[in-house]
Amino acid sequence: MHRFQFLLLLFLTVLTATAQETRQSRPVTGVYSLEIGRRSLLATYLSPLRYTGTDVAISGQWSKAMPFSPEKWIMHFDASADFATMLNPAETARMVGLNAAFAWGMSRRYRLPYGIQATAGAAVGFDGGAYYLLRNGNNPVQAMANVSLALRVSAARPVTIGHLPVLLRDEVSLPSASVFFCPEYGETYYEIYLGNRKGLAHAGWWGNNFRISNLLSATLDFGRTAMTVGYRFSAHTQWANKLNTKIFTHSFVIGVVPGGIGLRKKRTILPSETIYSVY
Amino acid sequence: MNKISAILSVFALLVLSSCHDSPEYDNDIYGNFDALWDIVDSRYCFFGEKDIDWKEIGERYRSQITPETDQIELFFICAAMLDELRDGHVNLTSRFNTSYYRKWWSDYPQDFDERTLEEYYLKFDWLTTSGIVYKQLPGEIAYMRYPSFSYPVGETSLDYILAILHKSRGLIIDIRDNGGGALTNIKTLVGRFIDRKITGGYIKHKTGPGHNEFSDPYPIEYEPADPGRIKWDGPIVLLTNRSCFSAANDFTSVMKTLPNVTVVGAKTGGGGGLPFSSELPIGWGVRFSACPLLNPAGECTENGVDPSPGCEVHCTPEELAAGTDKILDFAIGMLKDKPLPGGEEEEK
Repeated sequence: MHRFQFLLLLFLTVLTATAQETRQSRPVTGVYSLEIGRRSLLATYLSPLRYTGTDVAISGQWSKAMPFSPEKWIMHFDASADFATMLNPAETARMVGLNAAFAWGMSRRYRLPYGIQATAGAAVGFDGGAYYLLRNGNNPVQAMANVSLALRVSAARPVTIGHLPVLLRDEVSLPSASVFFCPEYGETYYEIYLGNRKGLAHAGWWGNNFRISNLLSATLDFGRTAMTVGYRFSAHTQWANKLNTKIFTHSFVIGVVPGGIGLRKKRTILPSETIYSVY
Repeated sequence: MNKISAILSVFALLVLSSCHDSPEYDNDIYGNFDALWDIVDSRYCFFGEKDIDWKEIGERYRSQITPETDQIELFFICAAMLDELRDGHVNLTSRFNTSYYRKWWSDYPQDFDERTLEEYYLKFDWLTTSGIVYKQLPGEIAYMRYPSFSYPVGETSLDYILAILHKSRGLIIDIRDNGGGALTNIKTLVGRFIDRKITGGYIKHKTGPGHNEFSDPYPIEYEPADPGRIKWDGPIVLLTNRSCFSAANDFTSVMKTLPNVTVVGAKTGGGGGLPFSSELPIGWGVRFSACPLLNPAGECTENGVDPSPGCEVHCTPEELAAGTDKILDFAIGMLKDKPLPGGEEEEK
């Protein structure tokens, strides 16, 4: 937890740093999104049945070129919160989920031919929440908690639609090493409350805690602001203590980028002095 | 190219290894029956204690269903199969009925009548708070009745109860017909009757689907109430009958270990397993015992807790109808000659 606080502090410090900015501008690009989609969930601690329903999330992504090598290195911070409400196949029981996630990382930027920009990097993240099955008695909740180190890659290419610059982008996040929480097969939270913590924390890797999130987006840069629309697919499969958890979400994403992403500005206003993080 | 293929193959293998299949059931007569059988088979916790051959039971009841079996018929076949577990914590819940195994109490004498208690012993005059009925009976005997562990017990309420009753020779705690509730209320109550931390029992849980896959027992410890709270260190008689179940059963198991407590009445009804919930494709819910609760000696409490030696007492419906509660009378008889606290009797 101290490490996370330190990283967050570092990030905020860099956000407010003004050194060198007299000659070189590195604006923070913030993307604020609303995501609405469909989630299916199997959590065998709660039920052997797959629940499906609606997922709504709000998210923010902030990124900035780093001062020591602004053309090559980008720092990013992500935060999101989502709420899901789902029904069992017979629609006789409801499950609700509330989760939040935070990630901080850095990526290396590569300028490739044909205007393609690729990034590759890593991020440390924390996400946690709970799924609550209203009909259950002593096993009503599956708590989720995960600290992970994720690989993160993206590819982007600007195109124009008429005179409107548009950035097409695909971003994949792949948590690869993690520590996550899972109750034992038939353990009640009452027993955990009593103090039995044995077997709750697990070292995770792709073999027992596979997660992937893919965001395909198009960002329309209007200059002073930009709008992004996209599709996110995320998958999370977890196998621990002989309990199976599978969560799949397909979401439509719509967001706004105050200040734009620099495609239009680069050509017209500040071509050499402003280094954007998105492209 | 071969290197790329190898990397992709390893990646695919790693990813697939995290995708474990879980059984999926059709939402038809057989699919629902099989789902129920599998849920109980993998998660129920008392097959060993009750010597239940679940496979044979499943085959026997599955043979009763046919493609023409309708939902209601299926429900009653499934309910009958669940009754074979002989467990009051097992229910099958549909939109039209909830099955319930009743023989754990219906085959035994009730040994209690609330009207008799209220009319002949409490004289329709008592105090009540936090769901607890209390009164000082004639002869300076404190009486409190806790009819359900579903009532949250407030610490301040307990302070008042014990303060009002403190000038008594002994305390009768009547939990007859208490069908259980929240285990956390046990801690609140027991904390008033102990002066040091005790291990009141153990809890286990299943670690896998096998009938014998269990964790090591984990101690359930009870702490004395906070300093400043009012406690009771005098003699206590705990009244039980067959309808004491689940949390009431566990409370009896814990209290019986205290040196100043005598359990009087009939053997409790059991229910020594914390129940889990699950469900079938048709939407029905199922509840079953999943985590055994053990007494301080590590013994299963599913089959009930006996009264203290020499203290098994019953009362017939005729006696109760005539205004005699023999279990309560027995308790009063045990306490009536005990000294008052602080030697107040001598001072008189």
